[in-house]
Amino acid sequence: MAPKPDSQSASAATPADASSQFSMDPMFHLLKVIPYSFLRPPRLRLKFPSLSLPSPMTVFSLLLLTYFMVVSGIVYDVIVEPPGIGSTQDPATGSVRPVVFLPGRVNGQYIIEGLSSGFMFVLGGIGIVLLDLALDKNRAKSVKASYATAGISSIVIAYVMSTLFIRIKIPAYLR
Amino acid sequence: MSSMISSDLLKPFKLKTKQQELLIRVSILCLVYILAFITRLFSVLRYESMIHEFDPYFNYRTTLYLTQNGFYDFWNWFDSESWYPLGRIIGGTLYPGLMVTAALIYRLLHFLRFAVHIREVCVLTAPFFASNTTLVAYFFGKEIWDSGAGLVAAILIAVCPGYISRSVAGSYDNEGVAIFALLFTFYLFVKAVNTGSLAWGLASAFGYFYMVSAWGGYVFIINLIPLYVLVLLITGRYSMRLYVAYNCMYILGMLLAMQIRFVGFQHVQSGEHMAAMGVFFLMQVFYFLDWVKHMLSDTKLFQAFLKITVTFAVAVGAVALGVGMVSGYISPWTGRFYSLLDPTYAKDHIPIIASVSEHQPTAWSSFMFDFHILLFLFPAGLYFCFKRLSDATIFIVMYGLTSLYFAGVMVRLILVATPAVCLISAIAVSATVKNLTVLLRSKNKVVQTGSTKGTSSGKASSKASLDQSQPFQKNGAMALLFGAFYLLSKYATHCTWVTSEAYSSPSIVLAARGAHGNRVIFDDYREAYFWLRQNTPPDAKVMSWWDYGYQITAMGNRTVIVDNNTWNNTHIATVGRAMSSYEDEAYEIMRSLDVDYVLVVFGGVTGYSSDDINKFLWMVRIGGGVFPVIREPDYLVNGEYRVDKGAAPKMLNCLMYKLSYYRFGELVTEYGRPPGYDRARGVEIGNKDIKLEHLEEAFTTSNWIVRIYKVKPPNNRW
Repeated sequence: MAPKPDSQSASAATPADASSQFSMDPMFHLLKVIPYSFLRPPRLRLKFPSLSLPSPMTVFSLLLLTYFMVVSGIVYDVIVEPPGIGSTQDPATGSVRPVVFLPGRVNGQYIIEGLSSGFMFVLGGIGIVLLDLALDKNRAKSVKASYATAGISSIVIAYVMSTLFIRIKIPAYLR
Repeated sequence: MSSMISSDLLKPFKLKTKQQELLIRVSILCLVYILAFITRLFSVLRYESMIHEFDPYFNYRTTLYLTQNGFYDFWNWFDSESWYPLGRIIGGTLYPGLMVTAALIYRLLHFLRFAVHIREVCVLTAPFFASNTTLVAYFFGKEIWDSGAGLVAAILIAVCPGYISRSVAGSYDNEGVAIFALLFTFYLFVKAVNTGSLAWGLASAFGYFYMVSAWGGYVFIINLIPLYVLVLLITGRYSMRLYVAYNCMYILGMLLAMQIRFVGFQHVQSGEHMAAMGVFFLMQVFYFLDWVKHMLSDTKLFQAFLKITVTFAVAVGAVALGVGMVSGYISPWTGRFYSLLDPTYAKDHIPIIASVSEHQPTAWSSFMFDFHILLFLFPAGLYFCFKRLSDATIFIVMYGLTSLYFAGVMVRLILVATPAVCLISAIAVSATVKNLTVLLRSKNKVVQTGSTKGTSSGKASSKASLDQSQPFQKNGAMALLFGAFYLLSKYATHCTWVTSEAYSSPSIVLAARGAHGNRVIFDDYREAYFWLRQNTPPDAKVMSWWDYGYQITAMGNRTVIVDNNTWNNTHIATVGRAMSSYEDEAYEIMRSLDVDYVLVVFGGVTGYSSDDINKFLWMVRIGGGVFPVIREPDYLVNGEYRVDKGAAPKMLNCLMYKLSYYRFGELVTEYGRPPGYDRARGVEIGNKDIKLEHLEEAFTTSNWIVRIYKVKPPNNRW
């Protein structure tokens, strides 16, 4: 609200500049009296930082990241604090073998299995997005073809892996 | 000649394209309506038409009371048969929407001379409202995107396991009706924002009233809608339509919500509802500034005025909120909803909330189980919404993301996220299928333009190259459409399998596979409750853990000490203390509460794992939270919970242990194991020689699942 002092203006000219601007702001008038009648404000070139809304696609990528974290079960990880990966002891040899999927319950996981499943879900979503980008008319044909292949392969891989994961975790699935 | 006659005969049946489209849409919606109803009938066909679980028994009992005694008696009902000796003001502590809805359907059927029992109406209320939800989903999808997306949304929500889990036939609980009310309110509000009409705003206020009367989750609506309005204001989408819609809905909705006794004045007094009020005042400030801007012609002056007004309004709001909270008029967030924002809160401070299995956070497999391919379609749907931003798509994106976050915090809330996930996935499916079919149809257009453009040689070569790629594209699109169809059919298979295997069990009747693969049914719960009803004096008081309270009151018709309402933590802690103490101390507590019978659930013979010994540590924690004399480490050995020979001595002699394992030491439960082998824990019990001094065994069911003990009167003094 206070006017920016010119770089060429004389040092004593700042009160005169201020009075030439009419302002409704009571704080401005108060500040004019209390410190700045005897203090000299320095000559700076400051710009008020302008906030602008981010573009929709930026917001979308942020939301995709949040979706990945929620669907990987990060709240479960924070509260229940399961190990990153489980372990069992082989009864015959006595060696400790890692167990990736927590067996026995539907609502339980280890951290790594959650993250990898969440990644598969996001990969499937991105595959469909790539398919839509491939059908956009204003691109070169080679780009469209590569988007289409990437999209289809992402969807196929994501679906196959997710079904495999759930089949490992719940042995009685679909039987 | 004959062809002319046949075409004349068929003429009245030949429909124009618009009529064909209408016919297809209506028939799809009818089929989806029927599908949503019949997929929820598995347990009725396998067992019988009965009420499931625990909470629905309370709802059933109150609905029975309502139909027998009328609305005034129901609204003013004080029940002395639960929470002895405190009693419970039922009229003021329940959400009446479900009971009133079922009673109205019952009266309507009786008016039409269908003499059905109220139990059948209660059992089938939830599937009926699930079918209605599919219709609302169709209209909502039509509002957000187009009618194709609406149809896909209706189909997806009809079979989605996340919704089926709480709306199966027999699950007579608030959520069955509440999800319909939630989606209906949101649809009416989005319609009001899109059209700006006062009539739709009024309708959304009444929809909100129905939601408030149906479920405590209405707090989600009263916080999501202000958040949505705030986002619209920030992104510069303020308009007169938004102003009319929000004001109408907030004021009328708030006034109507105060008619429910359980809610009372919470809309102006509780911290959870303050966001709505804050946004209401912010809207008035926005309107005022808009009006001033319209009147002023000087922009510099307006900028200054804007800054002053906004600072002043924010300052006044903050001061008012501060004064309200400090003086105690505005209550802070209650534990149940605060634990949604800070999930670690319940674990440390409120064990009774943390103990409920539905309140656990969600793992990835629960998401996959309840959503299947919708988890892939959700991010794609978000992308399409962001590509075509409008007031309605912003709403559905916000609803989807907030509800998905809360679903991640608590498994039970996957139910609230299901409509949003289905709608957004429907957008993805509809948009992708539209793209592919446009590709499929584009070949005909090129051929037509080619024929009208003549035969110039320059165009011939380009036409040839186009023709080469067209069949490839057309085949590719066809293959992708088949792929989409395959994925959706896998979704349908998954949903039906999950419904049949996981979500159709009545919980009160247990089923297992016998040795030869035949199905064995355990009906012990109902056997025990009917024994109580027929063999105990009418004024007998029964002490059990709070899980079984509603069922004992509804089926056994006896007074209980604590039940599932869990409104009095100290009373529950008293029962927990009694269960965890030695028999003499427990007898003192039971005499002070006038207890006549004690009921415990024991799964050692059948291998049933949800019995009281497995829940025992929660009894210790809750009891220890109020009475520090009960300490959890006393019952553990090296931090481990055991019932065999190496168990802690306090564990081997506490009341719960004695009541569960009385006479169990003589029983052989499994071939090749010693007597007293507990099949649920997989160990042989430690203390087999149990003597009871102050209680005697009254009844044990045929599979030893429910055991009832009579409390003996004190010895005669001489």
